[in-house]
Amino acid sequence: MKDISIPINKVDNEDKCSGKAMYVADYKIEGMLYAFTVRSSIAKGEILKIEYPVLPEGYFIVDHRDVPGKNIVKVIYDDMPVFTSGKITYLYEPISLIVGPKKEVLNDLLKQVKISYQEEEPAFDWTDSVVHYHFDKGDGLNAFRGLDRIEYNYETSYQEQAYIETQGFIGYPEEDKVTLVGSIQCPYYVKNAVIQALGAAEDKVRIIQATVGGAFGGKEEFPSLIGCQLAVAISKIKKPIQLIYEREEDMLVTTKRHPSRVNFVGYIKNNRIYGLKAVVGIDGGANIGLSGVVLSRALIACTGAYSIEHLDISGDVFRTNTVPNGAFRGFGAPQMFFAVEMFFEHVAKRLKLDSLKFKLNHLARQNDFTSTMGIFRDPVLMPEMVEKVIKESDYIKKRKDYEDSSFKGIGMSLFFHGCGFTGSGEQNHIKAKVKLKKDQDKVYILIAAVDMGQGVKTSFRKLVAHILDIDIERVIFDNPDTDFVPDSGPTVASRTMMIVGGIVARAAKEVKERFNEETFTVFKQYEQPEYIKYDEASFKGDAYPAYSWGVNVVEVEVDKDTYQVNIKKTWSVYDIGKAIDERIVMGQADGGLAQGLAYGYLEVMNHKRGKIMQKNMTDYIIPTAMDMCPMETYLFENPYAYGPYGAKGVGELSLIGGAPAVAMAIEQAIKKKVFKIPVTPEYIMELINNGEN
Amino acid sequence: MAKIKFKLNGELKEIDTDPSRRLLDVLRDDFNLTGPKEGCGEGECGACAVLMNQEIVNSCSVPLANVLDKEIVTIEGFSKTKRYEVIKDAFAKAGGVQCGFCTPGMIIATESLLNKNLNPTDFEIKIGLSGNLCRCTGYNLIIEAVKIASKTGEGLW
Amino acid sequence: MVNSYLPLTLEECLEILAKHDVKIVAGGTDMLIQNRSHTSMSIGFKSDVIYISNINELKRIYEDDMFVYIGSCCSLEMIMENELVPSLLRDTILEMASPAIRHTATLAGNIGNASPAGDSLVPLYLLDALVEIRSASSVRRVALIDFIKGVRKIDLSKNELITEVIIPKLKFSDCYFKKVGPRLSDAISKLSFAGAYRLESNIIEDIRFAFGAVNVSVVRRRELEERLIGKTVTKVKEMIDEILVWYDEFIIPIDDQRSNKEYRKNISLKLLRSFIENIE
Repeated sequence: MKDISIPINKVDNEDKCSGKAMYVADYKIEGMLYAFTVRSSIAKGEILKIEYPVLPEGYFIVDHRDVPGKNIVKVIYDDMPVFTSGKITYLYEPISLIVGPKKEVLNDLLKQVKISYQEEEPAFDWTDSVVHYHFDKGDGLNAFRGLDRIEYNYETSYQEQAYIETQGFIGYPEEDKVTLVGSIQCPYYVKNAVIQALGAAEDKVRIIQATVGGAFGGKEEFPSLIGCQLAVAISKIKKPIQLIYEREEDMLVTTKRHPSRVNFVGYIKNNRIYGLKAVVGIDGGANIGLSGVVLSRALIACTGAYSIEHLDISGDVFRTNTVPNGAFRGFGAPQMFFAVEMFFEHVAKRLKLDSLKFKLNHLARQNDFTSTMGIFRDPVLMPEMVEKVIKESDYIKKRKDYEDSSFKGIGMSLFFHGCGFTGSGEQNHIKAKVKLKKDQDKVYILIAAVDMGQGVKTSFRKLVAHILDIDIERVIFDNPDTDFVPDSGPTVASRTMMIVGGIVARAAKEVKERFNEETFTVFKQYEQPEYIKYDEASFKGDAYPAYSWGVNVVEVEVDKDTYQVNIKKTWSVYDIGKAIDERIVMGQADGGLAQGLAYGYLEVMNHKRGKIMQKNMTDYIIPTAMDMCPMETYLFENPYAYGPYGAKGVGELSLIGGAPAVAMAIEQAIKKKVFKIPVTPEYIMELINNGEN
Repeated sequence: MAKIKFKLNGELKEIDTDPSRRLLDVLRDDFNLTGPKEGCGEGECGACAVLMNQEIVNSCSVPLANVLDKEIVTIEGFSKTKRYEVIKDAFAKAGGVQCGFCTPGMIIATESLLNKNLNPTDFEIKIGLSGNLCRCTGYNLIIEAVKIASKTGEGLW
Repeated sequence: MVNSYLPLTLEECLEILAKHDVKIVAGGTDMLIQNRSHTSMSIGFKSDVIYISNINELKRIYEDDMFVYIGSCCSLEMIMENELVPSLLRDTILEMASPAIRHTATLAGNIGNASPAGDSLVPLYLLDALVEIRSASSVRRVALIDFIKGVRKIDLSKNELITEVIIPKLKFSDCYFKKVGPRLSDAISKLSFAGAYRLESNIIEDIRFAFGAVNVSVVRRRELEERLIGKTVTKVKEMIDEILVWYDEFIIPIDDQRSNKEYRKNISLKLLRSFIENIE
């Protein structure tokens, strides 16, 4: 049989190229109304009074009083109202929807809404800790006594997902049932949230995924908020309604990557980091939401790709009166890997050691303990991967040459990504279920996984066709519809192929055994590998079933006059277990790295008293074709026993190493230490004038 | 209101409407041509790109008034051509399609470029695609697709 | 709903301008964005509008002995591809926006918009460009530097239209344009700089500098440039620090969502220094 990694054409190419693919804004329903959102104009306070204009016939206001169930959006931490009942915690917080048939009229009505507030002083400092975690490893603090210490601080700022398609849903009623079609990653997150908000029975809510125009985490939990709002409106008005964000609205109010601050103190013994103390803070924004989970992924990654015997790690989620932050590809890991990679670099420099050798001396090996006393059970191929990247990029020579030249630099990052949910999340919270249905000569994949561009539709059909040894045309996989597919969990956390694909592969094997039967359905559920034992409270045990690994080398040139950064080329090596389709993986590799690089040097987002300053695609700068460079990528096979054909997670890994690698390359080019990203020309100028050598 | 006559995907059309409507809205709302997408609404992302007199324009930044007597081709019209087949196959072969939201615009940009310059250099390709934002691919696979199309499309342009 | 006018000839256009108070839209790439409201809604113009892009008379580029004339409805792409147009301007246009925008946006629109960050204004100031302004009853030519009065302020009466951009034919030994944007294409400038000079036997016969996005309009100081004319290249290079001080008071940028004033100022002056250092 053919190697499954050999690429095939993606199954959705034709529809997407020809413009036939239906994204949510492409749906039109006869008699459809539109919903505009009324928002707060202050960042903190209490609403005293709202005066709505007189509504023409056929126009409606929908607010917290219309929420028939619980006025809370069900996320991991339940603290976000569907509509505020009066308390304002961030600028542009949703207060109500105005719904009606004509956008012109809605626009006028929106301008006439008068709201008076009792304003309070908003908090923008990171002082209100709402989640605090602490764990240690080895002897913790006790191990650090009497050792030399090296301390540095690192900072990262916002990153916006900047999917090209904004957030949106269209929904319609059918008797007492509400159906929403949306641009979403997690059909069942939306469904469960809507059930709670409507207080409805399970069979009265139906969620269908439209073709998704990019998500990157941005459509993980946020759609649950607007899905609930729209569902409440539909159940009140009983008409089809469209709620699609304008770009500016999307940029101003949707979740972003958490800004972070990391304080590291390394305790040095025999030219090694013998102990590490980390104090980590992330800005959660106005709601906690997923922030605690983001923080825990960041903390678990505190040692980077290295083994450190003694740890004392703590972190906080701070609540501020700013837009709530949430999921973004990498989920806390990009922040931490930036900090830890730079820290290793800076400690090596302080100790006057070669930073690559210093890192390799600390590299985690198979059977080493992880930061949480889990075990890296599978072979760690990093030494070979580093060797490969050195050879392809000529890293050693360039690194040496650029020491003596100005404005040229090369940097290397080493990193991993824990695949799937942290800890026992899969077993305790998600409990993924899949179905495969055989009907005549067709096999139907019934799962809730969403193709948001990462190729799930192709790779899952290919996986099943490959196992059954049938033509891919005979395997059907439609966009998930919760009326037909079981809850296989959200499309997040680099879990889709490894976890859901693993269950689907088990089901496909059973289908194969019964292939002579005409019509039947196979149902399978996630089974946690025996060895996964994790205690969330103490941060002890195997936090992830498997790890994907990566190395990035980035070469840059900095303009001597303008300090603009030009990325010349990148070289990457990844261990993702086994590629289910090599071309799809290459697409994930390039795309993730582009986002990671841009996070490191290009993408600036900040707020001024709670207002996001980059409110459109003109001001928020993502790379164009001109900004990106050739990227060479190599894959190492290292099959994981529980992944289909050995596959591990892919989606997030490729984003993680970009920022530290580009930051290190710039650091070499300008001969000044870099402590924060993005490394903009403005920051470079500051460093050149006042930075540390 | 004004009567605006123009050619749309090869057919003569005349509509009586507000000339201050955006071409994008007219295409999507009046002609149900939803291939052009609204990404940013301000001429930055190129998801709404169409051909106007064979050149790429952002339909979100073109008032209908300026379409008078012009020839507009959307992805729906272009997808009936041989050139489209070549470009589409090249995108498939290179892996240039991910979420697909930018793809119709990218294909229009490719056509507009190859129509002027069948053998573009890497740099010329980058310039040709520079007004089309893609958040999924990092562009290399799309650049590769344009190269493949330029090679396999000989005689068509 | 506002009224829209779609003249097909210049005469028709000027008559409408004489009678009505209208907003002029050429390519629309700026006006549509500035006045946009929502998807599927008409552009929210607050007054009547005249669309001039269907006037073919305004789409010509031609020359005489002294000048190159660019019709006000020529797209940036047309200008970029026309060899009559000075290379400094063509090079600048290549760095502006993207192909799709260049196919519709116009040079006159960039002028009429009078944004401090309008890239094309920098070479146009440097080249001593003029604009031709017509009304139903008059024609006048005015230097661009006098035409632009401030941020989004221009010297244009309600009944007037920019019909041509007129560029003197100048000879330079070398000219240079640098756009400093947040990324390498399709972006609004943080700052921009243009420089040009003409040397004869190592003596500066002409020298010009223009700075964009660092003041309310493009900074060009002829009186400062004149101090350098007639000097040797070596002498001018010796004066670099002094020259930078001259310009210091005119380069007064602001902080915004794209950059900060320290960067804008420092880099503008660095580009000036680097340009002078490279005169040969």
